Amino acid sequence: MDAEMLASALRMSTPVLLAALAGLWSERSGVVNIGLEGMMIIGSFWGAYGSYAYGPFWGLLFGMVAGLLLAAIHAVATVKYKVDHVVSGVALNILALGLTRFLCIKIFNQATASEHTRAFATLNIPLLDHIGFLKPLVTKVSPVIILALVLVPLSSLVLNRTVFGLRLRSVGENPLAADTLGVNVFLMKYAGVLISGALAGLAGMFLSVEHTGMYVEGMTQGKGYIGLAAMIFGNWNPAGALGASLLFGFAEAISIRAVSSVIPYQFIKMIPYALTLAVLAGVVRRAVTPAADGVAYERGGE
Amino acid sequence: MFRKRRLGLQVTAPLMAVGFSVLVGSVIMLAIGANPLQAYAVLFGFSLGRIDSIASILFKATPLIFSGLAMVVSFRMGLFNIGVEGQYMVGAFAAALAGFGLKGLPAIIHIPIVMAAGMAGAMLWAALPIYLKIKRGVHEVISTIMMNYIAYSFLHWLLADVFLDRTQVLGQGGFGSPRVRTPELAASARMPTLHKLFAAVGIQLPHYIYVSYLLFIGIALAVVVHYIIWKTPFGYELRAVAQNGPAAAAAGINSERVMVKAFLLSAAIAGLAGLSDLMTFFGYYDIDFPRSYGFNGIAVALLGRNSAAGVIVGALLFGMLARGAEGVQVMTGVPAEVITILQSVMILSIVVAYEIITRYVRTQRKKEVGA
Repeated sequence: MDAEMLASALRMSTPVLLAALAGLWSERSGVVNIGLEGMMIIGSFWGAYGSYAYGPFWGLLFGMVAGLLLAAIHAVATVKYKVDHVVSGVALNILALGLTRFLCIKIFNQATASEHTRAFATLNIPLLDHIGFLKPLVTKVSPVIILALVLVPLSSLVLNRTVFGLRLRSVGENPLAADTLGVNVFLMKYAGVLISGALAGLAGMFLSVEHTGMYVEGMTQGKGYIGLAAMIFGNWNPAGALGASLLFGFAEAISIRAVSSVIPYQFIKMIPYALTLAVLAGVVRRAVTPAADGVAYERGGE
Repeated sequence: MFRKRRLGLQVTAPLMAVGFSVLVGSVIMLAIGANPLQAYAVLFGFSLGRIDSIASILFKATPLIFSGLAMVVSFRMGLFNIGVEGQYMVGAFAAALAGFGLKGLPAIIHIPIVMAAGMAGAMLWAALPIYLKIKRGVHEVISTIMMNYIAYSFLHWLLADVFLDRTQVLGQGGFGSPRVRTPELAASARMPTLHKLFAAVGIQLPHYIYVSYLLFIGIALAVVVHYIIWKTPFGYELRAVAQNGPAAAAAGINSERVMVKAFLLSAAIAGLAGLSDLMTFFGYYDIDFPRSYGFNGIAVALLGRNSAAGVIVGALLFGMLARGAEGVQVMTGVPAEVITILQSVMILSIVVAYEIITRYVRTQRKKEVGA
């Protein structure tokens, strides 16, 4: 275990972490977001396009806005029309797949990949980058990784220490009580889902622009769902989500190194998914879901 | 009067959803500078105006009838079996094993064995998620999705390393590489197509059409599923557990057992979804075996409002869209992916349409009572 390994694990865990935070924002407001995968897909495509056409900053913006727009559909469907949250999410995942393929054909003249994109200039962490053995970990770091790490305490702070966060959580726990106290239940749910979409879009943008250097079809590989598992493992807390994401990142980093002639690589590819199952099997019983998660709220309760 | 109105509701909502999806499709086509009227004319003309298209629609609808029925069983149980996708692939692979592994059997015995293998393979793949659901409380949506990804890798390994057909000859001049696929199924494991049946009524189907007796098996299964859900004690228990678990438990229903049985039934039906391609079109399982029947099955079940008859209608509609998309792509240059977009918009708008109509009916009734 060296610093290079740690750096690789950190890179691998970043999209999972962002997806976990995305899921957390939505579920804390009481909306289950299976559509994370689709929002990541659409974020990875628009992130790649924005970065290809105008540079990485615009890629980041395009990716986040694309994720947010898809999330807006999810919000309207689940909050206004009370569509089953899982049904809506699954539909959005299919929509994202078809839409990106369609757009990719139209914009890049091929169905499954974009042109190469421009990534952000990497950063060296001041002071730490002089410590020899830490070098691989603290030099040439993607700013999006740092942004993702900053988002962990920031999410905690907003959720736990602000009026907005309190209201958002109250809507996920007991919407009727929140409504009685004058909290705009629907507005809070919209806010939670939209923030979720923007973060999922960012996760997708990281994959295409920062990690791979282009959009490739199927590049999300279920990371949206793994993010949900990390969120559950982290007990719907940002710090817990970070821990769980690092676990998944490690597993992936190790599996990339473990390529050997003994174990067929198809089994190594299964590791993140098998780990997700194992983790969920181990923790779900003690996890505390937001009380009104996945439940439609209707005024007057008909 | 009441019945009539309910029937109206059953028909209006899908029509609204299809209409809205067509509208969204038009906007997308206008955005890329295509003529939506022309595209839709081609879509309908190409898919409904030719006998080979009709047969092709039936072929494309066959797997969706099975995956849609699998979803109906799980939805009626209150479970969301997203794993139909992985289950039908594992099922098709198991069926392929039985198809090329067994030799010298008469078709009348071999074909049922192949189908049973497909069902068994799919049930095997569903066992862990339902175990985790009941014993560990793991939500079946995430666990079955993980099982889908594991299935892709597992089948890839089985194909590339274990059961690769090494007897294939290379392309002309020894170039290229052999396809990553299993050996071919024995002739006795191939499902007969409907060419002879159509010829009996005077219609000659072209040789490139593969609609088979699995279509009739699917329709018969729809009747069976309807019967199981509405006319048997098991179906009653299934609906009772889904609607009110505690009440069902108080009435002495073992809800865990009902859930396990329903989930495995759903998987068994899913295991038949890949057989249409395996037993007629390909004749072997290969690395490019068609995907997404599971996800389309969700759409078909929702479109058919979780009824067995509705699934058949939904599957035919999706078959028509898929066939029409081929014509649209070739004749108008609009990418066939526009159909995937239409289909996903349909899933969302169908559920929204039901909600809107239900609200409308509710307010109408209130008015009637008020007056």
